[in-house]
Amino acid sequence: MSQLVNEVTPVLVNEELGAGIWLLTVETPAIAAAARPGQFVHVRIPGMDDHLLRRPFGVYAADAQAGTVDVMYQVLGYGTRHLTTITPGAAVEMIGPVGRGWQPPAGCTRALLVAGGVGSAPLHPLACELASAGVEVQAVLGAGTADALVARERFGTALGCEPACSTDDGTYGRAGFCTPLVAEALERAAGEGRPFDYVACCGPEPLMRLVAGMAAEAGVFCEVSLERRMACGVGVCLSCVVDTVAGKRRACVDGPVFPAEEVVW
Amino acid sequence: MQRVPRETNVRLAVDLGGLAMRNPVTVGSGTFGAGREYHDFVDVSTLGAVTTKGVSLNGWEGNPQPRIAETPSGMLNSIGLQNPGVEHLKAHELPWLAEVGATAVVNVSGHSMGEYVAVIEALEDAPVAAYEVNISCPNVDAGGMAMGCDPCQVEQVVGLCRAATARPLIVKLTPNVTDIAEIARAAEAAGADAVSLINTLLGMAVDARRRRPMLARVVGGLSGPAVKPVALRMVWQVARAVDVPVLGMGGISTGTDAVEFMLAGATAVAVGAANFANPHATVDVIDGIIDYCEEQGVSDVNELIGALEC
Repeated sequence: MSQLVNEVTPVLVNEELGAGIWLLTVETPAIAAAARPGQFVHVRIPGMDDHLLRRPFGVYAADAQAGTVDVMYQVLGYGTRHLTTITPGAAVEMIGPVGRGWQPPAGCTRALLVAGGVGSAPLHPLACELASAGVEVQAVLGAGTADALVARERFGTALGCEPACSTDDGTYGRAGFCTPLVAEALERAAGEGRPFDYVACCGPEPLMRLVAGMAAEAGVFCEVSLERRMACGVGVCLSCVVDTVAGKRRACVDGPVFPAEEVVW
Repeated sequence: MQRVPRETNVRLAVDLGGLAMRNPVTVGSGTFGAGREYHDFVDVSTLGAVTTKGVSLNGWEGNPQPRIAETPSGMLNSIGLQNPGVEHLKAHELPWLAEVGATAVVNVSGHSMGEYVAVIEALEDAPVAAYEVNISCPNVDAGGMAMGCDPCQVEQVVGLCRAATARPLIVKLTPNVTDIAEIARAAEAAGADAVSLINTLLGMAVDARRRRPMLARVVGGLSGPAVKPVALRMVWQVARAVDVPVLGMGGISTGTDAVEFMLAGATAVAVGAANFANPHATVDVIDGIIDYCEEQGVSDVNELIGALEC
């Protein structure tokens, strides 16, 4: 793994994108230059000293030229609620870039990315990287409501076309879960005689389990990005372990991205 | 950036029961791996010692998820001493620590008294400066705290470990007892060169909405600043009860915290959960001790040990 840094990173942007989902942009040239798609940053939020632990967030975008990193976060508990009060001009501290990111198979030509909710964040840099490498990329984004589909435009820009979307309440795209869109995409690609050779999925664990099953059935290599309660974020504390066919492995540094076939769901 | 403690004229070296430490700061077992993961942030060879994650004879899988919960000014953990076994430590971690010039203290765990001895025997030809005998883990069913709560069992297991090695033997005590001084005296009587305390306090956390415990194993060990007053009190009690030196820990995250433990009677201190929030915590604590000594005109850190006026 590349060397980790711990930096005090000035906050440039911290704003709500919609539905309790926020965008945080920080200045961190070292992490921005080193981050690979699928890696995360481990953030110490100032002013919450009675809540000791850092919070891990997947990198939504890393701009090496501008020296900035974007993370997307959903307000779920004390830490993320407190993070919304940090204003530009203040700073957070982060360790990064952490973990094993996405590892598409060599020679990958056609990829399907499946995101549930804020799971879209760590898939976005992958979409950019694959698309600029000439891989044909399709994306399926699922969310609860239309205003929670906060990554739709960035995926559109990265892919040059609108991603397939679903919302639980039918306010945008297909009504219901996104899994039917995944099934259709897999089927269509197979029908065209050019099946996908890579599926990458990040979202709620039931979604990842379902998509992993669909990919396996279609014979397509699949990776998933897993989330666990995490303390150190550097591989020592063994809080975040994931059950795999090779025993318990750490989500922070052995993951967060794992080949789906290795995960014991 | 890899940090090192700042330069000073203050004499920082301490002797923890035969373990020569270049300064009084080590780490709490299980919060620092075997040092490698934190070497990006601090030069681990500049610490008083690196105390490695508890190791058993063969690998242990540890407990089911979830294993941690954040609690007010602290955290609960129920890792269950997951480790790949002593041969892995010998083959991969101890040579690395030796190569970077770190002082290695190995935390030794077992499900039975025989297993503690077997682990020590396996390590006798490895580059280890001292052993810390873990008879205080609250997260395993056999060994650990079950052994460390009973003075007779403490004497027995420490006596067996003592017979297995001439290296400095530190015995790590649990705070989950009525009288920790009695346990410390049992360890001393059986030949311990030093005692370390406190291991985590048994606690639990509940998710009211889901009506479930926050930890899969229901209970776990509490650490962090929340436990510091309890840890200080126990270090003070134990330091007065035994003649062997004390390695103090429990909620230390600053130099001032460390000094408080030394004044209460600790010869050295360990930084634990603070590493998770601040990967530079160990060096910050050493620098903070230096700051204190320079401010207070203390030329040798040993002057602080037990210097509490009360």
